[in-house]
Amino acid sequence: MDVKFADEETKLEVKTRDVFMPALSSTMTEGRIVQWLKQPGDFVDVGEIIMVVESDKADMDVESFEKGYLAQILTAEGESAGVGATVALLAETEEDIQKVIDCGTECIVPGSNHRHDGTTVVDLDHQESASAEPAAPAAPAAPAAEKPKNVKEVFMPALSSTMTEGKVVQWLKKEGEKIAVGESVMVVESDKADMDVESFEEGIVAHIMVDEGDSTNVGEVVAYLAPSEAEASAVKSWASSLGSGPTSAPASAPAVSAEAAAAKPAAPAAAPASSASVVNEGRVVASPYARKLAAENGIDLKFVQGTGPGRRIIAEDVEAAKSSGAAAAPAEAPAYKSSKVYATPDAKKVAKAEKINLDNVTGTGNFGRITAVDVLKAAGKAPVQKEARAEEKAPAAKKKGKSDGPAEVLDGAVPMTAMQKGIAKNMMATLGVPVYSVSYEINTTAFDELYAKVKAKGVTTSSLLAKAVGHVLKDHQILNARYEEGDTHIYKKAADIGVAVATKGGLVTPVLRNCAETDIYSLSRSWKELVRKAVEKKLTGADMSNAHFYISNLGMFGVEHFNAILPKNAGTILAVSASKPKVVLQKNGLIGVEKFMNVNATCDHRVIQGADLAGFLRDLADFIENSIDEVMY
Amino acid sequence: MDFAFVGGAGVFGKRGARLDVRQRGGSRRAVQRVVLFAAADGFDYDVAVIGAGVGGHGAALHAVSKGLKTCIFSADDVGGTCVNRGCVPSKALLAAAGRVREMKDAHHLKALGITVDSVEYDREGVSEHANGLASRVRGNMSNSLKALGVEVIPAKASLLGAQSIKGSDGKTYSAKDVILAPGSVPFVPPGITIDGKTVFTSDEALKLEAVPDWVAIIGSGYIGLEFSDVYTALGSNVTFVEAMPNIMPGFDPEIQRLATRLLVNPRPIDYVTNVFAAKVTPGELGKRPVVIELIDAATKEPVDTLEVDAAMVATGRAPNTKELNLEAVNVEAQRGFVPVDERMRVLDKDGAVIDHLYCIGDANGKMMLAHAASTQGVSAVENITGNPHVVNHDAVPAACFTHPEIAMVGPTEPQAKELAEKEGFEIGKSLGHFRANSKALAENEGDGICKVLYRKDNGKIIAVHIIGLHAADLIQECATAVAAGLTVNDLAFITHTHPTLSEVVDEAMKAAVGMAAH
Repeated sequence: MDVKFADEETKLEVKTRDVFMPALSSTMTEGRIVQWLKQPGDFVDVGEIIMVVESDKADMDVESFEKGYLAQILTAEGESAGVGATVALLAETEEDIQKVIDCGTECIVPGSNHRHDGTTVVDLDHQESASAEPAAPAAPAAPAAEKPKNVKEVFMPALSSTMTEGKVVQWLKKEGEKIAVGESVMVVESDKADMDVESFEEGIVAHIMVDEGDSTNVGEVVAYLAPSEAEASAVKSWASSLGSGPTSAPASAPAVSAEAAAAKPAAPAAAPASSASVVNEGRVVASPYARKLAAENGIDLKFVQGTGPGRRIIAEDVEAAKSSGAAAAPAEAPAYKSSKVYATPDAKKVAKAEKINLDNVTGTGNFGRITAVDVLKAAGKAPVQKEARAEEKAPAAKKKGKSDGPAEVLDGAVPMTAMQKGIAKNMMATLGVPVYSVSYEINTTAFDELYAKVKAKGVTTSSLLAKAVGHVLKDHQILNARYEEGDTHIYKKAADIGVAVATKGGLVTPVLRNCAETDIYSLSRSWKELVRKAVEKKLTGADMSNAHFYISNLGMFGVEHFNAILPKNAGTILAVSASKPKVVLQKNGLIGVEKFMNVNATCDHRVIQGADLAGFLRDLADFIENSIDEVMY
Repeated sequence: MDFAFVGGAGVFGKRGARLDVRQRGGSRRAVQRVVLFAAADGFDYDVAVIGAGVGGHGAALHAVSKGLKTCIFSADDVGGTCVNRGCVPSKALLAAAGRVREMKDAHHLKALGITVDSVEYDREGVSEHANGLASRVRGNMSNSLKALGVEVIPAKASLLGAQSIKGSDGKTYSAKDVILAPGSVPFVPPGITIDGKTVFTSDEALKLEAVPDWVAIIGSGYIGLEFSDVYTALGSNVTFVEAMPNIMPGFDPEIQRLATRLLVNPRPIDYVTNVFAAKVTPGELGKRPVVIELIDAATKEPVDTLEVDAAMVATGRAPNTKELNLEAVNVEAQRGFVPVDERMRVLDKDGAVIDHLYCIGDANGKMMLAHAASTQGVSAVENITGNPHVVNHDAVPAACFTHPEIAMVGPTEPQAKELAEKEGFEIGKSLGHFRANSKALAENEGDGICKVLYRKDNGKIIAVHIIGLHAADLIQECATAVAAGLTVNDLAFITHTHPTLSEVVDEAMKAAVGMAAH
């Protein structure tokens, strides 16, 4: 790749976006560009197909994630590029095309390089010149060890179009383990689902930056891979010099705030707590005889400097320590005291959950070992003494409490889940939209009668409503349009309707496709499938994307009337309340009781005007009241 | 109990003649079946089975049903490992421990609308349940052998020749065909001292003489995993010591990962891998810890030392063949295992079939499972009676009775892929989820998957791996399907009862053929 150097000013001025080779399958490491569908000078919109790529499985159309004018094609038709490599440059305006070409990959704006495609590994040696990672680790105070060659980074991938950060639920590979291409390296909880993430590179996992249970932003490094076992330790020491990893001891003070819980890995954490006299952090290597001697003399091997082969502690070292008296463990003289501080598996788990450094905990268990009770005491949480082993339950119960809010009594700061964060972010993004609401009352007598008839056949209220809306949208196309930056209204022929589903973890909006044309039974089946996926946290981006019209139904709660927030990139959201009986003057002139529900539509005024909406609501009411049976045909 | 009716050779003239008194008389009131047998000319018995475990028992029952005069050498251990020191008492422990775990899980119970104040268990009571169950099952097996007319000889047996046996009672026995079913014993690696109290194998662990605060379990296979379930439910902490790079080696990797998330991570369990327990020194409960010296599995360098309250050795099982006197028949045991061909016939040093000598169960090392031994026993008898028979080990299911259970039939996914590559077909994979199953959700036990591996070309089911509620019961349908060569399509069109857990299998099969189950 031809790299030209540009001065800072040009970089700022020329906002180059890049088109990169996406990973089209989990096993793909490079792709051949079969065809460019855009030529230099052409305008490319987000979501527009820009090229056809031949992966290891199939030829696929690739959409652009960015908008701009195609300035330069770097990988010609018929040529291949590695996954993640920049294959073309986009300019912001037509005038900028030449500048972009001159500036090359140097001027790619930070952030445009986000790996929407699931790419998890980038070759550092190749990427360095082009990369402008926004969160590059700050230069360490001490000169970092020289970067070993061929280090590969494992990134937090973007598993959905809306994901901005992910939580490492589980590492499937540990430090020192080998990983092959296509092998799963970790499980990531995105805002939608738990997914296994596969590696696109092979190597040895040299250093893990993000511990299990911690979150990091999409595109951030979560681990470094070394090319061989021999180089792993060099990579590890280099990587650890960049910032702290999970191997360093947790911060010594118990962290209580929610912010601290959502620790960012790149942020330099506290240095491993080490007291001056402790020479052996972690495991102690000592010869059996040295151990025996230490045990007999009550010497803590943690304080003994080893001089044997591989710095192992040998008998002489223990003798030396004994005569100096420095390493004598406090002599409480119980029947037996361990020469080393042991913590039970449970104690370690509780310590991790409570962010307690085990070095600061005094063990009171058998032979002086640290138990879960000791850790809880250190955390200021007196264990429940009702049951002798109540403490065993503590970590498990705590873990579960997170997802099942109502079952637990919560108090104070609780870190948000990925899904909750996703919702919060998406909601904030809607603040810039000029919205208004119009509400309408609809008689549901006919609707209720129909529902009672078809309920047994598996038809749901949501699919009936969606079908009715789809039907009426045919005559009100503007209601199914949305506003797009750049003075555009985007219309949509198909009545794809997003329907809000409340799940345990939050809110999702799967989309029912083509509601007007699909028969009610198929629609109900799709709906049930979507709800099942939502409950299992298995909805994919495709299940939730590209609707302009949304329905939010809170009728089942008996809601009188409510306002719904218009989601991002939508034109309309219809808030449906409960159907309630009212005394009315019926058509036949008699006074009777009929049921009515309130629907309240919120629209983007940049697309849909009040009269448009009112007309739609009138026709929707008319359809539901008088022609609802048509949804069956 | 001696059988007055058991006659000597030639009484009825015809070899293998069998008279069933009850059936002849046609009386439905008869409680006891009395069977009369006559052995082949010149032999005391038609079939002699050495070992009265599940394998030997199965072989003996099948032999009598074929009209063969049968004896079984029980070495005073009817039921063998499975019944006395294995599957049976461990299920009793797991049942009790499982209840304790369930009732202590206040959170789970609350979701069902139940509150339980405090749960206590009586160790001795749990232990009695396990041992009581073992003796009951042992009694049942003993009775069935006797009632069906198998002569139970309480002696140990060693071979004098392929058809000749010396009993520890000093007598010599002859049989036309001999089936070796001596089983296995826990394997204890060198360097580990067993004291039966703080350092023990599954044999002693099943007696549950103590519930230590912290137990190291050396080996994380089926046995280790089941005991981790028992111990953690009863309140212990557990540390696995595993020589392989991952815990639960031998399980399908995907199942292994999910099992780690369900059975290890949320519990007071941790593990060290890639290490051997080079030296294990017993301690004394409450006074001295058990000291375990760990060395690197590859370099043999010392790695760490553990001090725990107890250590359970679950590093596998070794065949119990030392006392068989295999030299008498020119057989060389391989790592203790008796070499056999696919029809369970014992092979001599030169690999030649030894006529009339068979070996089944753990001792031949083909598949160390009780029900596999029993199947092999039936197969051996079929071969003895002139019906050539080969056991399809790929259709033998296996189960691990943790909470939730793990069960499988057929190879793991990597093994299946290897096979597919070798034989040139493509593997299809589909999943069913407990989270989507009404019955599982009713139980509030929605964790788990059913994974089906099948041939893409003809749909034949190759393997099924299940982790989830009652997986061990669910696997049977799949084992039957594999044995019968059924396809995913066949099962997808078979009606599964609603609402049951079997619909998880249904979902997986339907997914394989592109049908939605919901």
